[in-house]
Amino acid sequence: MTTASYETVETDVLVLGAGGAGLRAAIAAAEAGTRVMVVCKSLLGKAHTVMAEGGVAAAMHNVAYQDSWEVHFADTMKGGKLINNWRMAEIHAKESPDRVLELERWGAIFDRTWQGRIHQRPFGAHTYPRLAHIGDRTGLELIRTLQDRAVHTAGVDVHMETTAFKLLTADGRVVGALAYRRSDGSLILYRCSALVLASGGAGKMYRVTSNSWESTGDGIALAYDAGAQLRDMEMVQFHPTGMVWPAGVRGLLVTEGVRGEGGVLKNKDGERFMERYDHERMELSSRDVVARAINSEVIAGRGTPHGGVYLDISHRKPEFIKSKLPSMYEQFLKLSKVDITKQPMEVAPTLHYMMAGVRVEPETGATNVPGLYAAGELAAGLHGANRLGGNSLSDLLVFGKRAGEAAAAASKGNPKAAAAKLDQAQVEQAIAELMAPLDRPAGENPYKLQAEIQDVMTAHAPIVRDAAGLQAGLEKILELQARAAQCGAGGSSSLAFNPGWHTARDLRSMLVNAEALLRSALERKESRGAHARSDYPKTDDQLASVNYITKETPHGMSVEAVSIPTMPSHLAEILQRSYATYTPEEME
Amino acid sequence: MAEKRITIQATRFDPEKDSAPRLQSYDIPFPDDSMVVLDALNYIKAHVDGTLSYRWSCRMGICGSCGMMVNGTPKLTCNAFLRDYWPRPVIVQPLNNFPIIRDLVIDMDDFMHKLKSVQPWIIRKQEIPLGGGEHRQTTAQIDEFKQFSQCINCMLCYAACPVYGLNNDFLGPAAIALARRYNLDSRDEGFTKRLPVIADSEGIWECSFVGECSVVCPKGVDPAKAIQQTKLDTTLRFTLPFGNRD
Repeated sequence: MTTASYETVETDVLVLGAGGAGLRAAIAAAEAGTRVMVVCKSLLGKAHTVMAEGGVAAAMHNVAYQDSWEVHFADTMKGGKLINNWRMAEIHAKESPDRVLELERWGAIFDRTWQGRIHQRPFGAHTYPRLAHIGDRTGLELIRTLQDRAVHTAGVDVHMETTAFKLLTADGRVVGALAYRRSDGSLILYRCSALVLASGGAGKMYRVTSNSWESTGDGIALAYDAGAQLRDMEMVQFHPTGMVWPAGVRGLLVTEGVRGEGGVLKNKDGERFMERYDHERMELSSRDVVARAINSEVIAGRGTPHGGVYLDISHRKPEFIKSKLPSMYEQFLKLSKVDITKQPMEVAPTLHYMMAGVRVEPETGATNVPGLYAAGELAAGLHGANRLGGNSLSDLLVFGKRAGEAAAAASKGNPKAAAAKLDQAQVEQAIAELMAPLDRPAGENPYKLQAEIQDVMTAHAPIVRDAAGLQAGLEKILELQARAAQCGAGGSSSLAFNPGWHTARDLRSMLVNAEALLRSALERKESRGAHARSDYPKTDDQLASVNYITKETPHGMSVEAVSIPTMPSHLAEILQRSYATYTPEEME
Repeated sequence: MAEKRITIQATRFDPEKDSAPRLQSYDIPFPDDSMVVLDALNYIKAHVDGTLSYRWSCRMGICGSCGMMVNGTPKLTCNAFLRDYWPRPVIVQPLNNFPIIRDLVIDMDDFMHKLKSVQPWIIRKQEIPLGGGEHRQTTAQIDEFKQFSQCINCMLCYAACPVYGLNNDFLGPAAIALARRYNLDSRDEGFTKRLPVIADSEGIWECSFVGECSVVCPKGVDPAKAIQQTKLDTTLRFTLPFGNRD
């Protein structure tokens, strides 16, 4: 075997991923005085965060004076069915207002109240109107602001369209990563003294998803391979409202903002069915409840011709809809020729988000592997068994900043880590595995394998699961792992922008995520939040204090139950309080 | 009834093998009236030719990754309906005025430098500490520049701009619109800081007001308006007494 050639790039803090969490971490680490290299799979500013619509949850009480961090904390814990990391929920609720204000300082535009303060909209399972937003394109504004801030923060450098495929360790510490440039297939070996993973979720393992091609769970798989523990991998969120037709956009997100602004759900008989599932909160119940309700209606034969339910906001004034939900208005008009100011939309659940992910220490985002930090969607803990809408953008900001600061501190504390002696065999082997599909012209087509993974997960780990289905799915995923290890590059052996070859690598990430999800789902023998089991339909109170931890052992992947530390009394007391319901004095 | 089909002609270029880009023809099914050009490319990649390279991401016109020339016009391919072209063939090429990396993928590094040069962030003489709450801003104040803030960096305006085609040093439509967005922001005090770049020989005065940038913009940003307004504004700053003050 020939020695592969690669360029070596040295930095202090390496950040993998340039969505909200990665950029916020990069800014924080650079402001703390370290050199930062951001490496991202697509172009800067195109990361998945850009697609977020509804808003950032932060208890700024600009609209409802009763709001406070305590209520946000309680909503988050209750929405997560109590298996959240309570300390993360506390930090998040306390710090998100400052992170929003900071964005505003940097230039982000927000819809405003009549006094010129940041406006906040109601959203599912938030007691008070809490989501700072700009129309229904909050993600674009957030990523644009962070991108522009990052490019002028001294010390931040960005390598775009570069995919990391291996974390490098020395003496048990993460000291770098191997990556390839998508444009020409050239290799880079990054040396660093601390690394922040912020590369998002793995929605692409499902067929119907709001996620784009990038979301293949790379970071979670890289962390797992480096020895990091994963947490509650069974917990993935089906967003209740995705588009159902036309086929090309099936799964595309229809923002919860539609319901926040008054949209109602109806079945084909015109019945407002949420009445039967959550009489009190109706359409603004938590996402797990609404998604299961829609699923049940469709299965019971009360669905629409395209297999969804109706979401109707046409009772609001056309000008109101166009100003509050401009992207939705345009999206439906262009794609389905449906005018949402006059007609109902058809919607059905779509795989949207992973509450699951890398297990982190709440204050810093540190994983169990020294030198390795994680933030954003790929880090687990804040959302427990179900994420509230709007809590993701705030998660990115709060924990992105903390992870960046902690990584900077770790880097300063271990300045020699970036110069640690590397295990050359580790490097050579990772490169050989990456390159292998290019030399297998007769190998299986990676797109076909990707489609099979999606079929397995869609059939075997759906909204409502059972042991037999999960077990059969696991066996299929293990078989797919063996086939993926021998797959080709889809027809081209070129190194230049070769998507077949890139997909061959992504399969490995998706399969680690899929296996972990299935194994963890088999272990949690109850229904809780987003994890519903027909063979264990009840919530087991004993398991409210249990997280399932996935890790690598000499015998392969294993899952074990770990007790959640008891919540301190001052937090437990907050959960016991009751809060006045919010009634807007007048709806516009 | 025979299955409805459509012909897609896509640019192929492999820098390791080809000396120049060429068009390759694909005849594919067109069963669904709602199919867009991006759906056609995804169909080709998944079922006909897995080697076709192009950029895309969100499918909903917000990420700005999938811009290409469609029958000679810069378009977001997730938003270009095949029904508007059928039964004629659809010719898909990489965006004009940029170097090609492979097939339909362009090199847009140049723009990232231009973006940074206009300082797209709030510049204040004095920062308010976080404890002071947000800057107050009214909806009317936001409406002054909201249009210019909708840019998704899709590069369609650069592909449409004949000036940029002749002179890649021209700052270009999106970057100038972005500068305008910040100059008009009631929270910002950075006009004079941005002025040297905007009014430079490669800045606004290069624009010959063809206006194509605004025609192709998928988000209604209207960069041409931003450029013309900036020309006027800049002139007034220089000609009126005390005009150059903040």
